[in-house]
Amino acid sequence: MSPSPTVEAVVKSEYEHGFVTEIESDTLPPGLNEDVVRTISARKGEPDFMLEYRLKALGHWRTMKTPRWAHVHYPEIDFQAISYYSAPKTKDGPMSLDEIDPVLRETYNKLGIPIEEQMALSGIAVDAVFDSVSIATTFRETLAKAGVIFCSISEALRDYPELVRQHLGSVVPHTDNFYAALNAAVFSDGTFVYVPKGTRCPMELSTYFRINARNTGQFERTLIVAEAGSYVSYLEGCTAPQRDENQLHAAVVELIAMEDAQIKYSTVQNWYPGDAEGRGGIYNFVTKRGDCRGARSKISWTQVETGSAITWKYPSCLLRGDDSVGEFYSVAVTKGRQQADTGTKMIHLGRNTRSTIVSKGISAGRGQQTYRGLVRIAARAEGARNHTQCDSLLIGDRCGAHTFPYIEVKNPSARMEHEATTSKIGEDQLFYCRSRGLTEEDAVSMIVNGFCKEVFNELPMEFAVEAQKLLSISLEGAVG
Amino acid sequence: MLSVKGLRANVGEKEILKGLDLEVGRGEIHAIMGPNGSGKSTFAHVLSGRDGYQVTGGSVDFEGRDLLAMAPEERAHAGIFLAFQYPVELPGVNNTYFLKAALNAIRKARGEPELDAVSFLRLMKERLKVLHLDDSLLKRPVNFGFSGGEKKRNEIFQMALLEPRLSILDETDSGLDIDALRIVADGVNTLRSPERSMIVVTHYQRLLDYIEPDFVHVLAMGRIVRSGGKELALELEEKGYGWIAGEEAA
Amino acid sequence: MSAELGNGFDRWLAGAEGSSRPRLDWLETQRAQARERVRDQGIPSNKQEAWRYTSLTRLLEQEFVPAAARVPEVGPEVIQRLSIPGLDANRVVLVNGRFAADLSDLRDLPAGVRIGGLRQILESDPDALRERLNGVAGDAQPLFTALNTAGVDDGLVLLLPRGVHLPRPIEVVHLAVATDSPRVAQPRHVVALEEGAQATLIERYLSAGDSLYCTNSVLELSLGRDSVLKHQRIQTESPSAFHIAGVFLSQGSGSRYEGINLGLGGSWARTELRVLFAGEQAECDLKGLYLAGDRQLMDFHLDVEHRVPRCTSRENFKGILYGKGRAIFDGRVLVSRDAQKTDAAMSNKNLILSEGAEVDTKPQLEINADDVKCSHGTTVGQIEPEMLFYLRSRGISAPLARRMLCLGFAGEILDALTPETLREQVAEQVGRRLEQSPLT
Repeated sequence: MSPSPTVEAVVKSEYEHGFVTEIESDTLPPGLNEDVVRTISARKGEPDFMLEYRLKALGHWRTMKTPRWAHVHYPEIDFQAISYYSAPKTKDGPMSLDEIDPVLRETYNKLGIPIEEQMALSGIAVDAVFDSVSIATTFRETLAKAGVIFCSISEALRDYPELVRQHLGSVVPHTDNFYAALNAAVFSDGTFVYVPKGTRCPMELSTYFRINARNTGQFERTLIVAEAGSYVSYLEGCTAPQRDENQLHAAVVELIAMEDAQIKYSTVQNWYPGDAEGRGGIYNFVTKRGDCRGARSKISWTQVETGSAITWKYPSCLLRGDDSVGEFYSVAVTKGRQQADTGTKMIHLGRNTRSTIVSKGISAGRGQQTYRGLVRIAARAEGARNHTQCDSLLIGDRCGAHTFPYIEVKNPSARMEHEATTSKIGEDQLFYCRSRGLTEEDAVSMIVNGFCKEVFNELPMEFAVEAQKLLSISLEGAVG
Repeated sequence: MLSVKGLRANVGEKEILKGLDLEVGRGEIHAIMGPNGSGKSTFAHVLSGRDGYQVTGGSVDFEGRDLLAMAPEERAHAGIFLAFQYPVELPGVNNTYFLKAALNAIRKARGEPELDAVSFLRLMKERLKVLHLDDSLLKRPVNFGFSGGEKKRNEIFQMALLEPRLSILDETDSGLDIDALRIVADGVNTLRSPERSMIVVTHYQRLLDYIEPDFVHVLAMGRIVRSGGKELALELEEKGYGWIAGEEAA
Repeated sequence: MSAELGNGFDRWLAGAEGSSRPRLDWLETQRAQARERVRDQGIPSNKQEAWRYTSLTRLLEQEFVPAAARVPEVGPEVIQRLSIPGLDANRVVLVNGRFAADLSDLRDLPAGVRIGGLRQILESDPDALRERLNGVAGDAQPLFTALNTAGVDDGLVLLLPRGVHLPRPIEVVHLAVATDSPRVAQPRHVVALEEGAQATLIERYLSAGDSLYCTNSVLELSLGRDSVLKHQRIQTESPSAFHIAGVFLSQGSGSRYEGINLGLGGSWARTELRVLFAGEQAECDLKGLYLAGDRQLMDFHLDVEHRVPRCTSRENFKGILYGKGRAIFDGRVLVSRDAQKTDAAMSNKNLILSEGAEVDTKPQLEINADDVKCSHGTTVGQIEPEMLFYLRSRGISAPLARRMLCLGFAGEILDALTPETLREQVAEQVGRRLEQSPLT
């Protein structure tokens, strides 16, 4: 069967954020060795313990091999051809808003990201990371009044070294996996959030990541600590310019929720996915893990993944505290030649721990998508519960949708339910919509949105709207 | 026969029964009526020994034995039968096998010989007729895929087979059309005897047109707030539960 | 003598070269290639997906030697004692993997039906097997299948010509009897139904005692166009036994396969089922039930490959875990790009009843066509308290009520067994197993 004209149209639909910002940057030459790590640490003026940590991670990384178990295919990455540090050539670190280079400001405006407070969406604080460094963090004073720390991780290392030292690497150790080790050695910036005991963070926090420079890897590190009884909602968004070669993004995110604390972490990932032939695009190899350390704590991951040439990520929850709750809501779209291998791990250790997994995969064109998940209920996790729902929607006959769940139960009071379905977008549903006057495109978009509703409902209001829009753009004309 | 004194019970943190008193004599039929949430079903479940209810006070004496100390199956052996409001489906569990296991367990407890397959089948067929139930029901899994009416009739059929001394009918009329209701009531009436007592829990007076009670009690806020003869049911039907609640408040 | 295998399985093949088995060039080549394959695979580790949850340690600790070529003496009274009362079937008996003609009952079979021992047919008419042997299992054999091929010697052959309907089921009794030192038997069975043929096959794995031994059997099933096979495998090996089975099925267009797999016995049991649709509009229905009690391992691997359009597959496996029992369900449905209109559903439900029991389940879908209906569902849970209460409120004791509910859970699978006498006997066996074990 030859692809229908509409499938062609999907392949051609353009990436909106593909422009390049012409800005002078201070970029290290490609290559990775101890000197590079020392230079990164020195440029950022880090405390000694951080340098030691990085060097230990580099040593360990050298002993590791690239993981090959994921259902994704790509040529060997030459880690010596990547530059591990790139910063816009301006003053070091985030600055007050009027100091920001107007070119950068323009970039973020183009992306629709409000780094200027007067333009900010009501009540959302933004941290913007451009290539390797954080360039602006908004609403800092309001947050400071509440006792919430929201800053770049470089600043945190300078201003709150003990807090960072205590928590960094405690959820994702530098030995965890190949990309986590690499990140620990070379991460250049990222976001640090600290919510003190009993505090409800007064606004949504968000970070926008932008990769700009050529041949640069972006290795950001995010650390969120929610002390007992606190609450925080955090959102990250990602874009990159259109370039012919692949770029590596290997982030690590660590979340720590103490007793009765709640962290809601949402991602709208729209890195450049590469062109129709699969040239270029971001390799998004990310380690995200949350630790429900205290009793009754809750960590909720929501992700909308539409970008990247390859996505490899499994936002996970370690449910250690009794009665703690882990959630994973995901929408992933693969089209063109995009590949995504994503899912979650729910590790039930405490009593009466509960987890919910809802994964919606949409595969179009020649996209390949895999849900990979682990639900482990340890022998001591008395009364643990899991419910998993994985649905895949296929648009076009050249794509693939795969489901690889791993379920391990060692407790006789545990209950686990897993359901998965794979189906084609319903022709009768399409016909029904069209017979009511909708165009085919609108009908697809409407049906797909309905398919993803459960996940969108979990996003903060403003971003749910954005995610829906993004999904519609991603699927423009996608009728099988 | 049954003597309930100051019964208090919780579901979770919430107190549902707040000092309930009830005396049921041999051969008597007691109707317990009350608005939704008054504790009717809780009372039925506490009597039959269901998990999830914590008895926090009071006593229940059944023919000289402490009912609350007994396991559910011991209560059944002693002659208590609960006709469930929502009979649970048991996929894969054959109805005949189930009924035989139940009957023989009860007979054994009473010191009677267990029935062999032939006499058991004979007994079953005889009781089936009374309730206008089809043989095919015996080959199916317990309640599995039964209609609402079939489930309720199956409950009464079990009651006919197990011959309890005290039957508790928990909203047996709910979800039944008038024909099914009549069949169920006929079945119940054929089981009436001076040896058997019944507690009929219902929201509506309708069922009492068919199963005539000796006593009617109104349960509200976890206690019996009014008792009387069957005319009380008619009065309730006319004036609604608000009437009782209003008097209580006054 | 070939080089060492390097994974401890040399002993399994020891003496095979010198035995009296038939020598055929093509067969020797197959054996040698299989041996290479065994060597290449080394010892599987839990880094390999197929062995992620299954440890070979216990098996590797054993020092099994190949079963003797001679059929051990077994009196007909033993077979009589182990038979299913009232079962009207033709019977094939294999003792320690050797075809035992004297104990078999092959009367009144329709003309043209070929049935007998593998060794026997290799001697008398090797060409009948040349295309069949390894014809379904193929070249890329997993470790234990390759081991079986490397040592291939005896087993059952059943060939049904076009249009033949067997009037009675064929009961295959795989009997294990004690030997001086623990032995491994590696029987290879070849069953082929030509166009439109129909048969019922009942395989029973039995033991005359509770001795330690190992069975590593491979069955190749080939279903021709529009043929129908009902295949019931009932594994009740000795409580000390190791049981490894490979079942390879190839289905022609319009064929129908109904398979029921019961894993009840043995200490360590692994079954690998592979289904390949070779023609369109074929249907495959796989059911399974496993009981894993004290220190038992029940390990099932299902691999269903939809490579052509319009085929239907169903997998429904249920497990009951208690004591320190452990079960693994690893199911995979693959739909190739051309396999449009595939309809595949997989279900795996487990009851986990005691501390120390464990279940690992991995129901996978790999879909490369869009116009398909595929689903899977998995649950792990306990007996529903409200069901238990209902039974107890009717006077049934808690232990009996639990057993009844377990049997009810298993009923969906057990009810599919035919004929009635087999169903009853197996249900009783399952009931007895549950009775012996404390179900908390």
